[in-house]
Amino acid sequence: MAVLKMKRMSVYALKTHRKAILELLQRKGVLEIDTPKKAQPLFEKTDTGSARQTFEKNVRTLTQAAALLDSVSPPAKGLPAVLRGREPITGERYRQTVDAAGDTARLASRILALGKRMDDGKAEAQRCAAGLEALEPWLPLDISMRSIGTEKTSVFIGSFPEALTAGEIQSRLAAALPQVPAVEVEVISSGTSQTCVFAVCHGRYGLQVESALRAMGFTYPASPPRLPPGERAKELTRQRDEALADAEAARQELCSLADRRQELLFAADYYAMRAEKYRVLGDLWQSPHVFQVTGYVPAEDAEALGRALEEDFGACVELRDPREDEDPPVKLKNGPLAAPVEGVVEGYSLPGRQETDPAPVVALFYYVLFGLMLSDAAYGLLMVLGCGLILLKFKNIEESLRKSLTMFLFCGISTTFWGVLFGSYFGDAIPVIARTFFHTEITVPAVWFVPLDDPMRLLLFSFLLGILHLFTGLGVQAYLLIRRKRFADALYDTVFWYFLVGGLILLLLSTEMFRNMMSLSFTLPGWVGTTAAVFAGVGAVGIVLTAGRESKNPGKRLLKGLYGLYNISGYLSDILSYSRLLALGLATGVIANVFNQLGSMLGGGVGGAIFFTVAFVIGHTMNLAINVLGAYVHTNRLQYVEFFGKFYEGGGRKFQPFAAHTKTFKFTEEK
Amino acid sequence: MSNVNDLSTLLESVSFDWNTLGIVFALLGAVLAALMGGIGSAIGVGMTGQAAAGVVTEDPGKFGKVLVLQLLPGTQGIYGLLIGFVTLTQIGILGGSADVSLAKGLLYLAGCLPMAIVGMISAKWQAKASVSSIALVAKKPDQFGKAMIFPAMVETYAVLALLISILSIASIGGLNL
Repeated sequence: MAVLKMKRMSVYALKTHRKAILELLQRKGVLEIDTPKKAQPLFEKTDTGSARQTFEKNVRTLTQAAALLDSVSPPAKGLPAVLRGREPITGERYRQTVDAAGDTARLASRILALGKRMDDGKAEAQRCAAGLEALEPWLPLDISMRSIGTEKTSVFIGSFPEALTAGEIQSRLAAALPQVPAVEVEVISSGTSQTCVFAVCHGRYGLQVESALRAMGFTYPASPPRLPPGERAKELTRQRDEALADAEAARQELCSLADRRQELLFAADYYAMRAEKYRVLGDLWQSPHVFQVTGYVPAEDAEALGRALEEDFGACVELRDPREDEDPPVKLKNGPLAAPVEGVVEGYSLPGRQETDPAPVVALFYYVLFGLMLSDAAYGLLMVLGCGLILLKFKNIEESLRKSLTMFLFCGISTTFWGVLFGSYFGDAIPVIARTFFHTEITVPAVWFVPLDDPMRLLLFSFLLGILHLFTGLGVQAYLLIRRKRFADALYDTVFWYFLVGGLILLLLSTEMFRNMMSLSFTLPGWVGTTAAVFAGVGAVGIVLTAGRESKNPGKRLLKGLYGLYNISGYLSDILSYSRLLALGLATGVIANVFNQLGSMLGGGVGGAIFFTVAFVIGHTMNLAINVLGAYVHTNRLQYVEFFGKFYEGGGRKFQPFAAHTKTFKFTEEK
Repeated sequence: MSNVNDLSTLLESVSFDWNTLGIVFALLGAVLAALMGGIGSAIGVGMTGQAAAGVVTEDPGKFGKVLVLQLLPGTQGIYGLLIGFVTLTQIGILGGSADVSLAKGLLYLAGCLPMAIVGMISAKWQAKASVSSIALVAKKPDQFGKAMIFPAMVETYAVLALLISILSIASIGGLNL
């Protein structure tokens, strides 16, 4: 239930077993490779960069091919991948994948080529379509658009950028060139912004006519085809249809390959594993016949792994505890209640050296605080049901997601508990429904009390819980110090603070003013106040005397001590910070009430019921979402800032073993 | 002399019951809490939404994380709504006693102000912290836990304001004014 003890393992083995040993290590996934910077003479590293790059390229090709297949024939919409998780595969299936990997990679290349053919075909078809569109106005012309005339005539084929008739053009030409007789003009097609014309005149006047036409805005078509427009159009249509047919054929072929998607992804995973293996291989020290693997392994797995290596491969395995100057990675292991909040601890920082795993203490308060902030029995049940169903139904989800869901499941139980205590079920939904639709008054009694009626009480309770939380943190600090045999530090840094803060709180409780302010009913006997004052005094003096104990200079020491005492303001703000328990708890209830009230505005009857249902579903979904988020964020904050501030530093490095980091399948351990 | 008499009769004829204004001020307070908290959160969530959308264009996988960060400055609007609603239930608009004297009305107004003002300003500043945290998560997704805490720090003050507002509003009804 704590930070797993790490061992440093060094394995020396013959190179003939290199592949098998690396595969075993990768499959077991319990060794984090940490190669020493220096090695004995004779040992060298080999460069595996190029092999690794090949594998990585294969991974890319395979994943791209799978994505292409998905885009051509989308796989049936199933569960989101998060819920489905990775597919567990047997050794046999894995060996099939390995044997077929080369073929699958070639298949992927072919798929990508088909994809390119499909895209090219579509692009070509589009190009032809554009050409056809440009040719459209010229279709009535039955000679080539490149014709410039015959022996005796000059021909002009081109367009004007306005709408004109043959007559208009002719009269303008006649006005511009009175000396030129007969220019024959034929309008091929005419639109609002373009008139395509065919003009012919005697060859002798060709140049004159051309310049007159140009002056009127005449232009030759850009890149006219050699064939007459009609024939060219036929040719383009044929090309377009061919390109489309080609693209379609490619698409069909891709569709027929769609069911090999899984194979591609498997092969991608296989190559990703090999790339990882080669990365490790490149990091190992090797002599001509021997290679060395060094790394950290959790002590509980070390024995079994060592034995497997020694017995199966005749390797030489050394195990030792990490030295002071080494930095072993951190792996947490906890029971079923505490394990789910490991993610929360990791979100802050993993425990550093000399620290214990705070997850068990964090877990205890996490669920309580979360529940108090959400505090609605119905919301809690919804969370329990939601998380529970997913956990039951989808066994295959990833470990981290499973932990988060379990955490929210426990939070949901706690939420239900607090909700029952405070009599909140979807806020005040039950009384509102009874009043609106059945015209009866039902009150749902709170097992403890209704926070909105007596917020002061809940505020005090929040503070009490906060003090308990903080004191637990301080207690963990004391435990850590005592474990490291620093008894004096434990006294100075924790016991004095217990005296001071605890004494001050009791002193405050024994004053008349505070009791009135908080309308407390009990009175503490006088001696409690006096004793508390004495304890607080001892604590304060102790802190002033010891907080600056690192300084030798007595003046400096006293000043530092006084500054240490000033930390009491930190305790004050820490305790006040727990008022968010009240604020967020009230927020959930009040907003739920708002939606209930809103829903009941149309009164009873069918219309009212429909409106109520809609308002109820939308409103409570939103409220639940927002307040779960709020409770999550603020519980984390109370843990990270107020609680961890008392004892926890973190700074540990996460254990990242050499393992099969696959995306699609996962190994099931072969027995 | 006759002028003074005229004046006093005039005053009597327009005698005005100042206590009718009580509920006006009380409602003003309720509305301000919802209004300013809402404005602050709208600005805040808008700012963080832009930053979050930017991150998602680069990496859609971070959607879940940046969404949480985007929503952080949204709570002030909810707190404002809460104060507004509790006030409405106290002053006879949504149940409760409608007997709100001028003094009580002003008290309600004063009680709502912490949430209104702190809510609006803290939402905006929380959004700024949140935007930076979104940038943090974009570069270092594994630091999400820490990134979440920075904006949550700002929210403390909104929570404290909410606390004072709610404690005042819940107790004003019991005062004998």
